This record gives sequence, C-alpha cells and structure tokens, in this order.
Amino acid sequence: MEVQIHDPQDPNIRAYQTREELIQKMKMRFSLYGYNQIRTSTFEPFELYVDATGTIHTDEMIKIIDRTGKVLVLRPDVTIPITRELAAQNFTASEHTRYFYVSDVFRNSFDDNGTKEKSQAGIECFGEKSAEIDAETIAIAIQTLKDLNVTNFKLEIGHADFFKQIAAETELNPQELEQLKKYIQAKNITEIAPFLEKHNVKPEVAEAANAIPLLYGNPKTVINKAQKFALNDTMKEALRNLSEVYEVVEAYGLEKHVVLDFGLINHMDYYSDIIFQGFIDNVAKPVLMGGRYDHLSEQFDASIPAIGFAFDVEALIEGTTKESYEEPTSVDITVIYEKTRQQEALYIAGELREQGLRIIAIPAKNVVKANSRSIIQLTENKQVLLAGNETKEFNGIDDLKDIL
Amino acid sequence: MEQLTLALAKGRTAESTIELLNKAGIDFPDFHEKSRKLVFSNPENTLKLIFVKAVDVCTYVETGAADVGVVGKDNILEAGADIYELLDLKLGKCKFSVAGLQDTPPLEEAKKLVVASKYPRVAENYFQQRGIPITTIKLNGSVELAPLIGMSDVIVDIVETGNTIRENGLKVMADIDDISTRLIVNKSSFATKTESIQQVIEQLKSGLE
Repeated sequence: MEVQIHDPQDPNIRAYQTREELIQKMKMRFSLYGYNQIRTSTFEPFELYVDATGTIHTDEMIKIIDRTGKVLVLRPDVTIPITRELAAQNFTASEHTRYFYVSDVFRNSFDDNGTKEKSQAGIECFGEKSAEIDAETIAIAIQTLKDLNVTNFKLEIGHADFFKQIAAETELNPQELEQLKKYIQAKNITEIAPFLEKHNVKPEVAEAANAIPLLYGNPKTVINKAQKFALNDTMKEALRNLSEVYEVVEAYGLEKHVVLDFGLINHMDYYSDIIFQGFIDNVAKPVLMGGRYDHLSEQFDASIPAIGFAFDVEALIEGTTKESYEEPTSVDITVIYEKTRQQEALYIAGELREQGLRIIAIPAKNVVKANSRSIIQLTENKQVLLAGNETKEFNGIDDLKDIL
Repeated sequence: MEQLTLALAKGRTAESTIELLNKAGIDFPDFHEKSRKLVFSNPENTLKLIFVKAVDVCTYVETGAADVGVVGKDNILEAGADIYELLDLKLGKCKFSVAGLQDTPPLEEAKKLVVASKYPRVAENYFQQRGIPITTIKLNGSVELAPLIGMSDVIVDIVETGNTIRENGLKVMADIDDISTRLIVNKSSFATKTESIQQVIEQLKSGLE
C-alpha cells in the first residue's frame, strides 16, 4: 500500500481551514466587543414560526415529523429562537446581554441550485436601545470585514419605518403593497409613479414613494434630501435616529464605508428601526444583513429592545479566498519505523504528543513521502532524528526530548 | 475607475441599444451588425460589452457576471431576479397580452384555463392575481398555434402590432403589462462600484433626451 503521509494542498483540508480561520477571526472580533457564544437547538417546533408573524414563510422551512406526529423544523433562523428563549426566561428591558453564534440554518430555497444549508455568524445585543449601540453594531460589522482583509466593501443603511409609514399612508391591499415593495426594492421608478396613480394614492405619499428608491449615497446629503418626504412624526423621528447613528459612526472614523439607502427593505418583516446590509467585491449578493428588531419579542409576550446582524459565511468565503490565508497547519514530526520496533515507536510517538507535538507514526514499508518538519527514523539498529539538514542519533525518549 | 461589464440582449433591440449607447457617448468601434464577436470594449476600456441571449441577461446580472444589463421587461418579469431596474430606455416597446380564439368566452367567466406561453411565470402571476386557476404549457415559439389546435384555451405572449395574432385568427382579450427595454444593475455592483455605474446611468439619460 502506498501512502502519502500529509498533503498540505489537500482541497478538503484547505477548504475547512480557510473556513475555520475566517470563523476564528469573526469570533475574535465579536468577543472583543463583549459578546459570548451560544447555540440554539437544531430541531424546533413548527408552531414557533407559524405563530410568529412577519418571520419566515412556512413553505421555506424544512419540516420533519417525529414519532408522535409532531411537526418539527430544522433551524431556519437564529434570532427568533434566541428572542423566544429570552422572553421565556422573563428577561426584562432593564437587563443587557450580548450573544454571538456560528450556526447552520436550513431553508428550502436559498438559491436556485437547491442549496438548503447555510452557515451564519452573527451577533445579537439585547436590552440596549441607543444610537450608540446601533452605531457600535455597524462598527463591529465593518471591523470584522477589515479583519478578513476585505478592502472594497460598503454597508447600506436604511430605516424600516420609511417603507412601513409610506405603506400605512396608502390604502393599498396587501397584494398591492407587495407589488409596491418589489418596485421600491428594484428601484424601479419607471413603474412606481403610474402604479400609484392607478391606485389613487395621495400625491404627497406618491411623491415620497417615488423618491425613496433614489435616496441613496452620502448619509448627510441623503438625510437632508429625505426631510421633505417625511410624511409624519414617525418618519421625522426615523431621520433624527439615522443622523444620530451616523454621527457615532463618524466618531468611529468609519464613515467612508457606509451609505444610506432609503429604498432598502429587508425581507424579514420584524425589523423595526435601523436596517443594514453589506456588499463586498466579487460577491453578487449581500454578505451580511441585520438591523434593530424591538418588536419581535412582543410576539412572545415580552418587551426586549434588540439589534443584531449575521454574516453569510459561504458568501464571505466566496469573496475572500483570493486573500492570503495561512498554509494549512502541517505535521511536526513523522515517526517512521521498522515493524520490529513498532512498540518502541508508538511509545515515542505517544510521549511526543503529550508534549503537544503533532505526530504521524507509520511503518517504513508504507512511506512514500513525508511532509513534516522533522522525521524520526527507527531502523533495525539505529534511531535518528532528521531535522533540516541535520541528522542526530539519540538514545531513548529522554535523550530525544533533550535534542528537541 | 473600475471596468464595468455590460450584458446586452442579442436580437430585436441590440442594434437600437448600440445606437443609444453611441448617442450617450459610449462607443464600441469594433461593433458592426454582422460581427460574430461576443465581447467588445470601448476605447477607454472602462466598459466591456458582452452579447448574451435575451433570456440570460438577468442571470448574468443577478450573479454578478455582468454589473449592468440591457434587456426587455418581458425577460425581467419572467426571470423574477433580485436586481435594480433603474432606467426605461424606451426601446422595443410592446405589450404582454392574453389572446384567444374569436369565440373564447371572456376571462372573467373562466373557471379554469389552459394557458400556453413562452412566459409561464408571467402567465401564472397574472391569473393568480385574478383568482383564476390555470395550467401552463411552456412553449418556445409559435405560441399562436396552441389555441388553434386545441392545445390551450388562451396564450400569453408579446404583442407588438397585433398582426401575428390577427393573421392567425386570434383576438387580444386582455393586456397584462407594457414592455420596453430597461437598464438593470446588480445590487452589489451598485454598492461597490457606485461612481462608475452612476456615470453610465447619467450618460444614458442624456442619450435619451
């Protein structure tokens, strides 16, 4: 049998290590801001998502029927179960807690290729509501992208109240609102105006709906332009909120990475205030999404202000593999032995592993090529350590440890 | 500035789109009608033009293979892609319509319909909104034939002058949507290459005037 002992170019190892390294960097960044890791259950009750409105469409979820006939779903989301959990624990708005997670989520239609599994790495900050925490959350997202050596990226910030208030000021039915939402998401101003006219929407509301898709770009400029389309106090408040958040983002010195987009509408209806998404070079879809969701907990009879976001890990990998990642960690020492000295060789290998060295032990007849930094050879009558160009003989394990 | 890739639909509207681009100050000197080349660049090398099948333009743009695209609304509606649709280039104007035989009863009276179309998604959306259950038959051409030989009750198709419909003894029963050529943009490109894209949009707008 021929065995290649260790191949640093092994694509499986490389793929895993790239991913691990990326996740480690994200975890590090999250924990530097006081976030602690948690995980949620893989199986969850179907009713949790049926009862929670504005969350995930029931067709999207992957369902399983257990022995008793109960319907379960594979974790379609992380934010919802964490919020439900905190609500069940009588978490009150006066408490604060910061969680992060790296979890797989499962849905039927992530894309047209039938991908059903996706890894998310995200943070959720519960109990705090201020422009400072909103800006900090945005800063964490930006800092994480910098940690990953992403050079060209943009965070688009919007406000959930803008579309919600415009929708409330019209008398469109849900189906028509869905159509309007699609037009705004597509920035399709060609069709918004005739559509609103056809449905007798008040001129000032129509004007606002027509304007928001193109309210995009430098936050200060865009907020100024948006003032005249603020139809009511809630929208004015939204603009004040965005200004405040942006001021803090400036204080972090990160303003060049953000733009405002009033046409931004998240597909999750539970967002209540600021919402945002991030784009990087060479990835066609957002690599991160998030926002404030103060009302989600109300669906579980609690009142917990919260903000969070999640990275799409696979999308990030797609966009960052060209960046330099470390070589996969290799083996420190290969122990190659004659069958007659097997017991001794396995003992040496075991002792060295106790010292924290990565060891592969293998009979001489199986060896093709060893890619470790050093090699220990146990032949019929000799034991040597080959390190670099040097060859050293040694007597027993203690002597070996001394040489090492 | 970064180079942008522009996907252009081959066929019907390609030539008039190139004319519009020229008017907007975007030239592709290598381009001529009979060329079989699929990739062209402007002299400044800021734009790369690729010719793709009309039905594929949305795919190129949604996946980011192209930053911007020029394609008919008919294909955009059928693709249902998550993209920006920023400008009406007002070329290739026509309509999506429902057509049937002279004696086909009005659509409002229909209980269930068999609909033949090159655009099954458009057909489904239209009838679903009206609460009429349908079965769609996807055809790739000569759609007018379907009601004539009893394959379907009605068709959903593009109607430009109505000649093809009339010559085959059919009548237009309802209009679904107006169609024209649009400028579409990938959402990520819009965020990361904002300046270059805004510039193309401004140039095209001036070309439209």
